[in-house]
Amino acid sequence: MTDISENTATRPKADFLHRFSMRDAGTLIGLIVILAVFGALVPGFFAERNLINILQQSSINACLALGMTLVIISGGIDLSVGPTAALSAVISASMLVAGVPFPLAIVSSFAVGLACGLLNGVLVAHVGLQPFIVTLGTLSTYRALALIYTGGNPVLGLPAGFRSIFNGSLFGLPLAVVIVAVVALVAWIILKKTPFGEYLLAVGGNEEAAYIAGVPIARTKIAAYMISGLLAALAAQILIGRLGAAEPILGNLWELDAIAAAAIGGASLMGGKGSVVGTILGAVILGAMRNGLTLMNVQSFYQLLATGLIILAAMLIDRVTRGRG
Amino acid sequence: MSPRLQFAGISKLFPAVRALDDVSFSVGAGEIHGLLGENGAGKSTLLRILSGVYRPTAGSVLIDGQPVTLNNPVAARAAGVAMIHQELQQVPRLSVAQNMFLGHPLTRGGIFVARGEQERRAAEALAALDPSIDPAAPLGSLKVAQRQIVEIARALLDRARIVAMDEPTSSLTPSEFERLAEVIVGLARDGVAVVYVSHKLDEVFGICKRATIMRDGGVVDSVDLAQVSEKSVVAMMVGRELAQEQHRSHATGDVRLSVRGLASATKVHDVSLNLNRGEVLGIAGLVGSGRTELLRLLAGTDRASSGTIEIDGKAVRFSGPRDAIAAGIGLVPEERKREGIVPLRSITSNMALASMGVFAPRGVIDHRRLKRVAAEKMKRVNLRPFLLDRPIRLFSGGNQQKAIIGRWLAAGTRILLFDEPTRGIDVGAKAEIYHLIEELAAEGHSVVVVSSELPEVIRLADRVLVMRDGTVAAELDRASLSEQAIAAHAIPQTQMQVGKTGPQARQ
Repeated sequence: MTDISENTATRPKADFLHRFSMRDAGTLIGLIVILAVFGALVPGFFAERNLINILQQSSINACLALGMTLVIISGGIDLSVGPTAALSAVISASMLVAGVPFPLAIVSSFAVGLACGLLNGVLVAHVGLQPFIVTLGTLSTYRALALIYTGGNPVLGLPAGFRSIFNGSLFGLPLAVVIVAVVALVAWIILKKTPFGEYLLAVGGNEEAAYIAGVPIARTKIAAYMISGLLAALAAQILIGRLGAAEPILGNLWELDAIAAAAIGGASLMGGKGSVVGTILGAVILGAMRNGLTLMNVQSFYQLLATGLIILAAMLIDRVTRGRG
Repeated sequence: MSPRLQFAGISKLFPAVRALDDVSFSVGAGEIHGLLGENGAGKSTLLRILSGVYRPTAGSVLIDGQPVTLNNPVAARAAGVAMIHQELQQVPRLSVAQNMFLGHPLTRGGIFVARGEQERRAAEALAALDPSIDPAAPLGSLKVAQRQIVEIARALLDRARIVAMDEPTSSLTPSEFERLAEVIVGLARDGVAVVYVSHKLDEVFGICKRATIMRDGGVVDSVDLAQVSEKSVVAMMVGRELAQEQHRSHATGDVRLSVRGLASATKVHDVSLNLNRGEVLGIAGLVGSGRTELLRLLAGTDRASSGTIEIDGKAVRFSGPRDAIAAGIGLVPEERKREGIVPLRSITSNMALASMGVFAPRGVIDHRRLKRVAAEKMKRVNLRPFLLDRPIRLFSGGNQQKAIIGRWLAAGTRILLFDEPTRGIDVGAKAEIYHLIEELAAEGHSVVVVSSELPEVIRLADRVLVMRDGTVAAELDRASLSEQAIAAHAIPQTQMQVGKTGPQARQ
């Protein structure tokens, strides 16, 4: 008790359990309950192919939600992820169609995502505008740029070589899933093991106190938005690789799913709180539910209803288990 | 005749905590009754029961001899109880009158708010207290002292028979306190029972006849304040005698910090000072004299418009707190909740915030080292309970303050700036913080202490600068240091006269 450092250093397992927070355990239980319900109702739900399907269907949202989680932890919100994805998708797609080498096109798409995030971040951190309004504005702006750039038409005929990159598989898992798993691991390390992670939690938790303690406020916020933009671009690459085309209207309402996954996973829109593990579980919960309802031939109207109820239920359970204040 | 207010055997159980244990005492009509105790003694819980926020687990509240059921704040208000909170619960953008009628506006036909009528009645209630307050002005444009008076006027409007005040003077100047004291005495004269909670014993002794002292959820005693000394009251609050500490100086002759002609755009004009190694420099002055602003310039959180700062003979320039921290300066701010702590994060994270780079030399935090340093520094400041992974918001104010001090120790800070180091901190923890400041000075740290509590300045400082109107009005060494000397330099002549009328009016 008096020497905590020694205790934890000699017991890495306890340390790991300690890291896996109560809140994440709650999200995991939620996922298990949902899987059990669908497993009972839908024959073949637990088939390996379907489970992999669920992961694949969740991967794009999980990718976006990881960036969203970092932004939300910093006390902000990024409503512009869908249009950011669309803009980076149409630019890289038209480069690919024009015969630009794959790596260059992919890097350009990342650059577009980073630039979109940079603009959001600068407007929030340096100009001091409210994140909700800034990204509401860039939501329309980036979408308009994608539409203007393409004249509203999809960019068709992506080279087969490019498509095979994102449609391959590794260790029996679709490459998209592996990529997002790696991103999640990096995000977890960032949040738990780097000064930047501590800074995000501090800036979102109490910006004034963080400032007085010498935390680089602006740099931290801008980095969060840039990561969100970058992950939106990555999600776009995964999607156009799968579809073989890039539409300027791609990514419509992605921001809402991403926020939902983060919130189910325990991120607080007040800032200062959020979990990478929780967000991934949240994204899989949403993915599993859609997959199960589709297999049950439930109308999409009811799928929307189920999504809404899941979010509300998660928040209610949060509230009840944590009590007041 | 039965007392106006009586607590009869009140107990309150929370899961795993007995917050109140068989609390009984009474307050007569026209009495100002002090309620004293350390943080966590149960004062706030008792006030919450009185104002209908909590229900007692056992016991009852009697008003004029009749048991009353205070199930919610509306019921409490209907029973004639008005609560004046430490952190005022008002809406700054609404007018004074709108705030006074908040929650139960006067209406025409039940639909439209009768603003004119509200303002007329607000003006009536304010006339007796402070006629200079305009009921139509936005509340946010008033000073804190005036806002307190608005709250009291609101209690008058509600025809309150019992007024409970929780630390009403925590941010008032002495002359503002005099004014408020007159108002409170006036309330009592009209037959209102006042329950007065304050950490400032001199105030309680000044305006209350009797006081109830609480400790650990129970009543220690209800005393006649004319019969007891402040020292014995403190002993009852803490549960032991606090040793009277003598000042010890550890100042050396080496100048560590030298400031010349420092000024900000607004509140600080032409401040020059020296701070030596091992020295504790006190800065006294009224609220608004530029003390906090001076500290913020030195800590780099605000930008200086002119002047120079030298540390160990080298000129430095701060474009933000990061520069000041790199130069070895750290600020322990006044408003701990707003400016000090990141509430959801652990003690360890809060401690490490200013020195993350040190714990992550290769980009990844060395958690083992972080934990070792946290254990070492928190042992140094005597954190209690010693739970380094626990969110800091669950600790008492005194222990939060210790963690913030530990933050600067971990960052290798050599110049510590304290703004009101013991605001909102218990008597017991206060003594610990004083000790800590002294030990830091003995170890060679240089310390600046800004405080409104003159005994605190006198207890700690090797030398005191008195600020007035944004500049240094006087410098006092230990030989010439006294509360009177500080007050004489701190208070502008015009205010002195206002202050003089105060004590007479109170008798």
